[in-house]
Amino acid sequence: MVTALDKIEVTLISGRTAKQGVGLEEGKPSESYVDSVRLIQLCPGDAEKLDLKEDSPVTVTTEHGSVTVHWVEEKTLESGMIFFPYGPWANQVYNSVTDGTGMPIMKAVKATVEAGGKVQSLTEIVDSLKGGS
Amino acid sequence: MEHVDVVCPFCGCLCDDLEITVEEGHITGIKNACAVSRSKFLNHGSHRITSAAVDGKKASMKKAVKEAVEILSNARRPLIYGLSSTECGAISKAVEIGEVTGGIVDNTASVCHGPTILALQQVGESKATLGEARNRADMVVFWGSNPTAAHLRHIVRYSVMPKGMYSTEGRKGRKVIVVDVRQTGTTRLADKFVKIKPNSDFELLQALRATVRGDELPVDEVSGVPMKEIKELAEEMKNCKFGIVFFGLGLTQSEGRHMNIDAAVGLVSELNRHTKFVLTPMRGHYNVAGANTVATWQTGYPYAIDFSKGYPRYNPGEFTAVDLLASGEVDAAMIIASDPAATFPADAARHLAKIPTITLEQKTTPTTMLSKVVLPVATAGVEAEGTAYRMDGVPLRLSKLVEPPKGIHSDEKVLDMILEGLKEVAQ
Repeated sequence: MVTALDKIEVTLISGRTAKQGVGLEEGKPSESYVDSVRLIQLCPGDAEKLDLKEDSPVTVTTEHGSVTVHWVEEKTLESGMIFFPYGPWANQVYNSVTDGTGMPIMKAVKATVEAGGKVQSLTEIVDSLKGGS
Repeated sequence: MEHVDVVCPFCGCLCDDLEITVEEGHITGIKNACAVSRSKFLNHGSHRITSAAVDGKKASMKKAVKEAVEILSNARRPLIYGLSSTECGAISKAVEIGEVTGGIVDNTASVCHGPTILALQQVGESKATLGEARNRADMVVFWGSNPTAAHLRHIVRYSVMPKGMYSTEGRKGRKVIVVDVRQTGTTRLADKFVKIKPNSDFELLQALRATVRGDELPVDEVSGVPMKEIKELAEEMKNCKFGIVFFGLGLTQSEGRHMNIDAAVGLVSELNRHTKFVLTPMRGHYNVAGANTVATWQTGYPYAIDFSKGYPRYNPGEFTAVDLLASGEVDAAMIIASDPAATFPADAARHLAKIPTITLEQKTTPTTMLSKVVLPVATAGVEAEGTAYRMDGVPLRLSKLVEPPKGIHSDEKVLDMILEGLKEVAQ
């Protein structure tokens, strides 16, 4: 029997998805948009390492922040790499330092993934930007 | 009524072959569109902001504009940001507002292909239109870009599948190479997928450049790619008739940023000693190229423009939105056709909630949710006409297909109302 790990170290890659594009044109508050960006993709092996249950959330943490989201399996990803679609949830873990270029780093970011946490709604994310909970 | 050759106002492809049916003032049918374009045209009325608002309460347009004028005229250092999803007339007005207020004008290029602009200003570029790619290219390289997710018809319409004047065989006559850190929809249709280690594009680009030049590198692999494969790729690139590199945010948003683009231009430059090779950035928002173009006409600079001295100054890293918000330097913001609260790192986005933010937007977004003043506007390319610039720099005319909701004006009109108000205050 394989013992589940508390957390795994990963390289976080962000980017666009077609579903995200379709959703944002419907409207950012739409279920279609929120569902398309409030998740990460990871490989089946890494999901198994963390003993993730189908509907259980995961928490992604970098040295700049932490956010809890849903997860889906993506067989084409290699172990140790997650894909996080651009959006308000992914933005919680990026550094705003641009090293004099204007551009924050949003790809190939070192992160950890662990099971658990509470997934926030879009309103809660915006409230947190306002200084709320 | 049937509208033909309609330009799609979503991504930098600006596909101009859409056929749209309008019945009784509503869009009821659409042909030739990708899934995102279809969503844009058919859902342009959903989640719509129907009234102006101040402090979260409904207000008349007149009152909201007056509030916006007051905020901007009282600000010591206002930021005017966004502009990539509207037409050029609105962009022009926004730049003028930047000048009148002594503020800073930045557009979304600063978080997409800003590093590309920085590099191209240093080293130049060898470029071509998408029409030339379609008609001539026999080698297409997608480097750090995934059009199957971000530019859905690029492959079908411009780069891979179409038969052109000199590319008569279409897909069969083209070699497609994808360089990426992971498998994507685009890698699946490639003839060759070059999988590289994250954050190592610069090294591979330089190794390829050296190999094309004939240098022998005393290593077994670079960026996780065996030297044998690098040598084969260099030979294939040298031996094509017309090659094009379509590069994306895989190069601009990872370590190296503008230096990655510098290296890509260097590779293309070296390849031009052997054959014809060009490169084109995969611009995301449909008129981000127009935002750079219009800002350059008016100020000499494409983004990150500061008017505080009374004349335009340019300094990405200092006058770019993420830096200005993260440092808390700006004391007011006006956001046009963009959603920084959903696209910036949280540290930077948080400042928008601390300062009076004015947002011109069609739909509810995280940015409108934290704005002091919200001004609803018409959707350019659907409810308002104008001009937009395709990713390759070709300007195309956007159509007005239906009327906007009653009392809702175009971005340009609303910005003009604010500009006039600011001029009155200044007198």
